[in-house]
Amino acid sequence: MHPTSTARLPAPARAGRSHLEEHAIRALWLACALVAVLAVGFILAFLVVYGLPAFAEIGVLEVLLGDSWSPTATPPAFGILPLAVGTLLVTLGAMLFAVPLSVATAIYLGELAPPRVRNLVRPAIELLAGIPSVVFGFFGLIVLVEWLRVSFAVPSGESVLAGSLLLGVMTLPTIISVSEDAISSVPREFREGSLALGATRWQTIRRVVVPSALPGVTAAIILGMGRAIGETMAVMMVTGNAAVIPSPITDVLSPVRTLTGTLGIEMGEVAIGSLHYHALFAVATVLLVITLAVNLGASAILRRLNASATGRGSPSRLAAVLGRPRAGMAVPVLAAVLAAAVAHSVGGLLPALAVFAAGLLLLAAVPRLSRNQAEKAAFLLLYLAVAAVVAILAIILLDIVSKGLPALSWEFLTGSPRDLGRAGGIFPAIVGTLCLVAGAIALALPLGVGAAIHLAEYRRENRLTRLIRSGVDLLNGTPSIVFGLFGFTFFVLYLEFGVSMLAGQVTLGLMVLPTIIRTTEEALRQVPQGLREGSLALGATQWQTVRRVVLPPAAPGILTGTILSVGRAAGETAPILFTAAVFSQRHLPSSLLDPVMALPYHLFVLATNVPGAQQNTYGTALVLILLVGAVYAVTIAVRARYRAAGGAPG
Amino acid sequence: MQSHRSTLFLPGLAAVVIGALLVAGCTGTGETATPAPTGPPGGPAGRLSVTGSTTVLPVAQALAERYMDLNSGADIQVSGGGSSVGIAAVGEKTAEIGMASRGLKDAETAKYAALEPVAIARDGIAVIVHPSNAVAHLTLDQVREIYAGNVTNWKDVGGQDRQIVAIGRDSASGTREFFTEKVMGTTSTTATMLEKNSNGAIQSSVAPNPGAIGYVGLGYLDATVRAVPLQVDGTAVEPSIETVADGRYPVARELYFVTSGGATGLAQEFIAFALSGEGQQIVEKEGFIPVAA
Amino acid sequence: MTGTPAPGTIIETRGLDLWYGPCQALKEITILIPANRVTALIGPSGCGKSTLLRCFNRMNDLVPDCRVAGLALYHGADINAPGYDVVELRKRVGMVFQKPNPFPKSIYENVAYGPRIHGERDRATLDAVVERSLRSAALWDEVEDRLQEPALGLSGGQQQRLCIARTLAVEPDVILMDEPCSALDPIATAKIENLIDDLKKRYTVIIVTHNMQQAARVSEFTGFMYLGELVEYGETLQVFERPAERLTENYITGRFG
Ligand SMILES: Nc1ncnc2c1ncn2[C@@H]1O[C@H](COP(=O)(O)OP(=O)(O)O)[C@@H](O)[C@H]1O
Ligand SMILES: [Mg+2]
Repeated sequence: MHPTSTARLPAPARAGRSHLEEHAIRALWLACALVAVLAVGFILAFLVVYGLPAFAEIGVLEVLLGDSWSPTATPPAFGILPLAVGTLLVTLGAMLFAVPLSVATAIYLGELAPPRVRNLVRPAIELLAGIPSVVFGFFGLIVLVEWLRVSFAVPSGESVLAGSLLLGVMTLPTIISVSEDAISSVPREFREGSLALGATRWQTIRRVVVPSALPGVTAAIILGMGRAIGETMAVMMVTGNAAVIPSPITDVLSPVRTLTGTLGIEMGEVAIGSLHYHALFAVATVLLVITLAVNLGASAILRRLNASATGRGSPSRLAAVLGRPRAGMAVPVLAAVLAAAVAHSVGGLLPALAVFAAGLLLLAAVPRLSRNQAEKAAFLLLYLAVAAVVAILAIILLDIVSKGLPALSWEFLTGSPRDLGRAGGIFPAIVGTLCLVAGAIALALPLGVGAAIHLAEYRRENRLTRLIRSGVDLLNGTPSIVFGLFGFTFFVLYLEFGVSMLAGQVTLGLMVLPTIIRTTEEALRQVPQGLREGSLALGATQWQTVRRVVLPPAAPGILTGTILSVGRAAGETAPILFTAAVFSQRHLPSSLLDPVMALPYHLFVLATNVPGAQQNTYGTALVLILLVGAVYAVTIAVRARYRAAGGAPG
Repeated sequence: MQSHRSTLFLPGLAAVVIGALLVAGCTGTGETATPAPTGPPGGPAGRLSVTGSTTVLPVAQALAERYMDLNSGADIQVSGGGSSVGIAAVGEKTAEIGMASRGLKDAETAKYAALEPVAIARDGIAVIVHPSNAVAHLTLDQVREIYAGNVTNWKDVGGQDRQIVAIGRDSASGTREFFTEKVMGTTSTTATMLEKNSNGAIQSSVAPNPGAIGYVGLGYLDATVRAVPLQVDGTAVEPSIETVADGRYPVARELYFVTSGGATGLAQEFIAFALSGEGQQIVEKEGFIPVAA
Repeated sequence: MTGTPAPGTIIETRGLDLWYGPCQALKEITILIPANRVTALIGPSGCGKSTLLRCFNRMNDLVPDCRVAGLALYHGADINAPGYDVVELRKRVGMVFQKPNPFPKSIYENVAYGPRIHGERDRATLDAVVERSLRSAALWDEVEDRLQEPALGLSGGQQQRLCIARTLAVEPDVILMDEPCSALDPIATAKIENLIDDLKKRYTVIIVTHNMQQAARVSEFTGFMYLGELVEYGETLQVFERPAERLTENYITGRFG
């Protein structure tokens, strides 16, 4: 209407203000992103500084390679080697157990399952990923260990095998869901191409689908492995915690102690400032370094696999080796030898020979099978694996539900604990867990979304961005017990928060920060570039574009990440073990500096500290599962709704 | 010029905003919990945090429950974590009372000079086995040889032919330290001993396992395990409140409440209650041995 | 309409119906495909050309809720009969897809894939098959010295010829091609058309295309489909120059609607 007056607007001033605003906002997101890096740097520095006295006083080599961890002996010995070996053995065992089962299940779900079964099983398995580790530990302690002791006729079931089986079960859902994603996203054309050449379904799966999904499946395995290495509570409850290197090393019935277990057990009792205290920080440092190494190695492998799969770059040597038929034989032969060695140390020479012979027979038989026989045999194995997975998870759930249900009552849900938790209820623990989670999310959500906006929208791939990204990765790989250790020494002692809700919230918030950053960044990247260009072309500023065009369609993704974080924060024990949790509380906390009860901690104490509380222990486990399960169910439902709506916001 | 100004100004702004978000988030959660009721007139009121040793935890919890029944204005929170968590918490003044199943270490007295331990109970350490274990009694030497890994079968100490599974406390625990001091001497513990981080965990591992041996405080004795009498000067002594109290049972120690710079207010009242006649009755009921003469 | 070309019939359908869930995609299709000739299927988008093609090697088995009635014969045998070996069928009736779909493997492995899954292990034989197939697909000269490189690094036209080589390596009777050139530029298209010309000496080729010039250029028989029906089927020359049906004429002359 008034073109002249518009033209005379004081343009420079306007431009200046919005320019400034843009800068402020940009800086804000950068600051959010830097928090992740600072946190990692700070945690690492903290561990190293506190561990340094141990290295200095005892000697670096003596700490790293000493074969005895015996802090109370005279003279005390602080050799980390047996602990590191314990961690590696348990993790390796868990992977040997979990990888075949979960990859088989993922193949079944992605390739063979009728849609109805798939739509039922897939969310169920994702739900299981949310079962808190202390619940698994509790089950392992009560059922698995005893079962091993009786069925192998050994003095005690607390062993590498118990830890491996339990950790394996715990990593099943993670590996299955992520591998299944990878398998399902193999383009349909590959399958059709192979089938059209007259390949059987099994040949297509084995030679085309699985190799194409290999990067994703590898990522899934590494994710599971990271979880296994960093797991504390469950492992601590079933491995026996004897700081020995099994002899022979394949003796899976020997007890062991892991790095995480050592921290979980000893941190609470050690005299602060003593040499033993610093040695525990050395343990934490080694643990962190191992997880970081796994993460870095993993991303290197993934990059190469990805490069060779997408045809960019020359074929990787790894893929080439995997593809060679002779090398393909090496894996089963190795497996047979390993199985024989384990059988030898468990049962003696005869079973060992039997296992080895069976393995060789199998190897000899496989190439002689016709294609149809091979397919039948392979599918049979797949079905068996799926049945095993479903049975294992069902047994655990059934055990807890059937024994936990009788404990549930109005009084149990609304009362305070009495008689050390044997009687009374868990209301303060439910409230405490909700408070901890709310605080953690209140902290992590703005920071995480801000960081993700920086990474996804204001990206300029430079040194800083790469640094931030590695920071997020490393934070993501940091074991939860390390967060607990850091929270205890830094927030509780150094900042004098005391054992308090606040310390727990901040610690948990740091722990879930990378999850929120990653899921948010992922959601932002899914928003088509065209939308951004459309908005910018209309003269919108970048922030306007992000706020009005990019964030709304990304909201469901961000919500999913948030809810997953809620589930994780609600179920974790290790980070609040020393920072926030009290065993008993008659009144609810009234300030952030009060300690709180929390469900996972309550369960842990009941299971390990209070004899004769079995019914309430099962009841607490059930409530915890229901709580976390409800959170996951909401996530899955939300995602399904948005998927059905085509991802468009309503 | 403008960009120069903004580089100085904006990060500061960002920091303020983040701080605000953080505070807002936390306060928001604080409000979701209902505050503790303020007490009726009469008894001492306020909040007391008691934290530390898992061995002392049951008795402290029982004391606290009774005390809160008597004084509804008082809110006593008892948490575990371990002796040193308790001692550090008191030293750092994040808790009023620390529970310890061991005396103070040099490192601790050096760091926190004002710490004062008060013994509130005595605890006998019982050697426990599976209820079906037929071994009649053990000498301290035999217990030591078992935990040193030199005796590995029950038949060598008068039991069935069955492999021994030694279960003990983690190396940082006060109980382990006391056991080492009293039983092991300079002999080192076998590396194959299974380590547990609480009395309850030892008890529940021994209960189902016919070959197991463990040690726990008297408070953890129940029908699921059998306490083995220890042979002292030719006579077998059952671990019990009487035998510990009269000094016949050889493996007993003191449990402490630790305060910093002398207890005041509610903490002082609570410790006084623990040492009172009623308090010591509770101590005894929880399976510990009263300290007051 | 039942066009009935003279020479030996290799594939035949009689009253073939096909439903995707509730939607009928093929109606009463009756067609005889002559051996060692090139047959083209033309028609507007969505008329069921691909669907019909995929009936010939039972690729529609992969589509959930897909139901077939009527007869489809290969060498006189009902391919939908229970117990019919579909894997063997697909080995004999190869397929080239609209979008080039080489596997994420090396060029060599892509071509060797078929022989390998059919049990060939001898390296020298494989080498020979790979070379022969790549030569037949007119790709050998371009990739001779980079056989071990990833197939996904090839251009679109090269990828499509690789897919043809991959199909040839299995030594099929019949090659089904579903718009093999629709994703390619004119030069690559010309190469493939020449290739088809070569192939018809040894194979039966059925090609789906919506490019009428292409159909006219490469095929000897042409079927015109419309809304799931086979409207007209006969010798290419006749279909293009003297269509018997009004619909066909409209389509061919571009007067459609
Ligand atoms: N997988 C499928 N599920 C359901 N309907 C399909 C499927 N594939 C094709 N159709 C439908 O069948 C009809 C024929 O499709 P198609 O054979 O692909 O046509 P053309 O290849 O001639 O373009 C179309 O209406 C299409 O929408
Ligand atoms: Mg088509």
